[in-house]
Amino acid sequence: MLGLAARMLRHRKGTFVATFLALAAGVAVLTVCGVLVESGLRYKGEPQRYGAAFAVIARHQLTVQGPERFGERETSTVTLPERGSLPESLVRKVAAVPGVANAVPDRTIAVAAAAAPKVPVAGHGWGSAVLTPYKVVSGTAPRTQGEVAVDERLAAAGKLRPGSTTAILTGGTVHQVRVSGVVKASGVRGPQAALFFTDAQAARLSPRPGRVDAIGVIPAKGADREAVTAAVERIADGAGATAYTGDELGLAEQPEAVAAKSFTLEAGGAFGGYAALIIGFVVAATVGLSVRYRRRDFALLRAIAATPGQVRLLILGEVGMLSLLAAVVGVPIGLLAGLWIGDELVTRGFVPENFTMSGGIVAAPAVTVAVAAVALLSAWIAARRTTRIRPTEALGEAAVEPGLGGRVRVVSGLALLGCAVALTGLTGMTSGQTAMGAAVGMLYMFVLAIALLAPWINRATAVALAPVLRTVFGNSGYLAAANLRANARGMVAVLTALVLSVGFGGTVWFLQDNLERQTVVQSREGTLAQHALVGGAGLPAAVAAQARRIPGVLAATGVRRTSVIVPFMDEAMTVVAQGIDPQGADRTMDLKVRSGSLAALGAGTVAVSSSQADTSGWKIGGKAKLWLGDGTPVTLKVVAIYDRNLGFGDVTLSNATLAGHTATDLNDHVLVRSAPNADVVPALTKLADAYPASAVTTTDRFTGALAQDLAISSWLNKMLVAVLVGYAVLAAANTLIMAALARARELSLLRLVGVTRRQVKRMANAEQAALLGVALTIGVAIAAVTLSSIVNAIAGQPVPYVPALGWVVIVGGTVALALVSTIIPIGRLLRTPPVEGMGIRY
Amino acid sequence: MSVPLPADVVRLERVTKTYGGEQPVTALAEVDVRFARGTMTAVMGPSGSGKSTLLHCAAGLDRPTSGRVLIGTTDLSTMSEKRLTELRRDRIGFIFQAFNLVGALTVEQNILLPARLAGRRPDPAWVAEVIDRVGLGHRLGHRPAQLSGGQQQRVAIARALVTRPEVIFCDEPTGALDTQTAAEVLGLLRSAVDQFGQTVIMVTHDPVAASYADRVMVLADGHIVRDMPQPGVQRIAEQLAMLDRRQRQPVASREG
Repeated sequence: MLGLAARMLRHRKGTFVATFLALAAGVAVLTVCGVLVESGLRYKGEPQRYGAAFAVIARHQLTVQGPERFGERETSTVTLPERGSLPESLVRKVAAVPGVANAVPDRTIAVAAAAAPKVPVAGHGWGSAVLTPYKVVSGTAPRTQGEVAVDERLAAAGKLRPGSTTAILTGGTVHQVRVSGVVKASGVRGPQAALFFTDAQAARLSPRPGRVDAIGVIPAKGADREAVTAAVERIADGAGATAYTGDELGLAEQPEAVAAKSFTLEAGGAFGGYAALIIGFVVAATVGLSVRYRRRDFALLRAIAATPGQVRLLILGEVGMLSLLAAVVGVPIGLLAGLWIGDELVTRGFVPENFTMSGGIVAAPAVTVAVAAVALLSAWIAARRTTRIRPTEALGEAAVEPGLGGRVRVVSGLALLGCAVALTGLTGMTSGQTAMGAAVGMLYMFVLAIALLAPWINRATAVALAPVLRTVFGNSGYLAAANLRANARGMVAVLTALVLSVGFGGTVWFLQDNLERQTVVQSREGTLAQHALVGGAGLPAAVAAQARRIPGVLAATGVRRTSVIVPFMDEAMTVVAQGIDPQGADRTMDLKVRSGSLAALGAGTVAVSSSQADTSGWKIGGKAKLWLGDGTPVTLKVVAIYDRNLGFGDVTLSNATLAGHTATDLNDHVLVRSAPNADVVPALTKLADAYPASAVTTTDRFTGALAQDLAISSWLNKMLVAVLVGYAVLAAANTLIMAALARARELSLLRLVGVTRRQVKRMANAEQAALLGVALTIGVAIAAVTLSSIVNAIAGQPVPYVPALGWVVIVGGTVALALVSTIIPIGRLLRTPPVEGMGIRY
Repeated sequence: MSVPLPADVVRLERVTKTYGGEQPVTALAEVDVRFARGTMTAVMGPSGSGKSTLLHCAAGLDRPTSGRVLIGTTDLSTMSEKRLTELRRDRIGFIFQAFNLVGALTVEQNILLPARLAGRRPDPAWVAEVIDRVGLGHRLGHRPAQLSGGQQQRVAIARALVTRPEVIFCDEPTGALDTQTAAEVLGLLRSAVDQFGQTVIMVTHDPVAASYADRVMVLADGHIVRDMPQPGVQRIAEQLAMLDRRQRQPVASREG
């Protein structure tokens, strides 16, 4: 049977190309997702800094306990946006564990060295050098407050020797230090150069007094390592932290690695889910169609000799072989694309430099099996339908179009449509995250409902548009309407793919544009200050105070960008936040306060955006429970609710609340409002000069940079959507080409009975106009409803913004699709003399 | 097949077939008929007379609404779809008007397809003889699309003969052929009956084709209205013309 299947494949290449393309592209797309997920799972960072430790306790994640369901407690884990820290008292607890020789606290201090400004440097206390370990190569270890030891990399880059003096910037201030020695690590070179202070100095410079970033565990010789691990894990658990051992040590030293891990897992998983849905649908439709076009072959086989089981086996054999072939082509493409995406993710700063795409060994076979399973399942369903047809059909040449579809299909389609419409109402009444979630649910329901109801929609379109087509296209239009009606079932894939592309793709793509635009607009409109003092390495709180003293400066606000974690539906959600000096902030920024006042902002209070207030149910004067970026739980009183969330974040805190809870504990920039006519730039520039890596810029340029950052972060979303839309369009084109080429006989017949070539072409044009026009209309309608709901929910703008180029791409793309997939193939068919086309084609 | 072969290869007992739901159409009404071994029978009749339905029911391609169909001593009415297929594969040959061949396969592969599907190796001497008989020895490696209509029908005949079936059913085997080619194909069928003792049951609307048969049956409205030992072209044509006049309906091109 397989031999026969192989011969069928070779002979009927045309019919199988479509299926093959759908399968191969599906395998490629899913392989990319699989590789992302697998790389994320495998990625453990690179143990370098803690290479000599047995275990390291650190806190990079926050786990929130959800409610108990079905006897299991649900938890959700988010990566802490700011470096988490541990209380110093934990060091003694770890040291007391039997078998632990040494519990070494480590503090990581952001440092910029004036001698080598381009080298990223992290400062530590010398006591933590044993965790790598670092050995003194020349000179000595740091012994006094003004001494530091530098590693070979920093020494080489900054031409530093024992005894040289150099300036370093940390905590926003410049320190003159003397190099006591040069040290060398035995293991691999890490992403950052190391600089060591004395332990006392490190504790003083640490932005979080009384706390440490990590605790390294060095066990005693001959200690029971398993017992030590268990005890250390217990202590870590008690402190809400994690004990990392073995090859996980890389995660302990690099919080970015933890973030990158969950980022790739989420991106690959979520996108893989959508992609699997679409690919499953496309593969099923294409396989079903290719089987349907060869019904006569199968009927003949049935009549002369083949049992239903043999025909099913034949169809399954064909599709199985195609799946394997598709995997052979799709997997390498997917792996290459995965490598490319890995590079792009590193370049764009989504993941750390040492992140590598290491997946494939598990992902590729898994994807191959999954796609083959979907293909075989749909082939089996199509084959069952085929073998149920009586073999006598082979005797007649009329290929009877099967019915539109079962009752289950109509009922579930209508039910979904009803739900989607109901959700439209819900999105209109709520706002914030609830409305956003409802809008996304609505989008899916609309698309699924259309997919299910597609045969009837096609039929209804044909009936409704028949008079229009007749009026516009004359006799050709009459024929077109009849064809559309007869092919209602065959064109299901086209309608669904286009609605999906336009509805889904349009929503996600333009949502990014809307967010970018709204963010920039809100930020520009809400920034009253004319100048911004931006510190590349952070600015201490004193800078704002110094700026306020400059004559002509009306107000100066120190701002730090951070994130906080809020509970949402039993889970933890990270939201963008800012910390400000409340004093005079109403003169540098206008958050569009809706109720309450920013003047009341201080330690223990918070201002939140209206959409966040809706999402979390917060009210003026009420309590807001949340976690600061480092995982510290706080309960704050809500004193103001404002509208400009996109430009300024959903949560605005006083810097007093944030003190000690961000990684550097410094401000990112200072907004300066000056009196009209007062030229404060020279004085500000002078102020900036005192802080290395900082500069004065106008706030206009400042918001421009913001837009650029957003464009980078929306890159991944847009690329993934582009891939999905591309796939859906490929599916539509496939179906159309397959349908067009199957019409040789029909077109020849039409020409023999006196329809001119011109009329046949007009007929094809009319069909395309009706089919694609309706698909486009439905897609645009769905995108419009969803997009306006979402944009209204998060930005309070009822009318979404769609760039002119967006319209051009949608309409132009559809016209191109019609041209390439139908009008050109039909033009080619028309070049065959009709008598030849009528010949019995095998 | 050690049991002595019964004289009748195919037997229909009170076979009725109705189609459709709300306004059922009776295609066959309690038809009783037997087909003897080693004979060629032509089944004729105007469009809608039930001749194709008779063929489909007799061949196990379609199931009668009531009544029994026997191939040899085997009753088809209670068989599963799979057993029916196996029976068709082993004991029945088919020749249709068109679309007889699988386009992906060569002439030789098409001829051997039923044996291959049955998982059997046909007797090579017999295959060679059949191929020689239909005169396709030089075209075995060709694909159906490279053959003329008459050659395609000859391939179909070879395919039907190779399994040494008890009966070969033909549905308008010459419907798509010109007179000269049709004569060749019919001659081939006739010689299969005469030389190999084959049994052939053929549905046709062509009196010339029917004149090759030993027996001509005429159907009208689901009943057998005439059953004649070879009456000659002239008489067949007269009978048909009479039926046409009685029914006052135009003769459609095919489908009975």
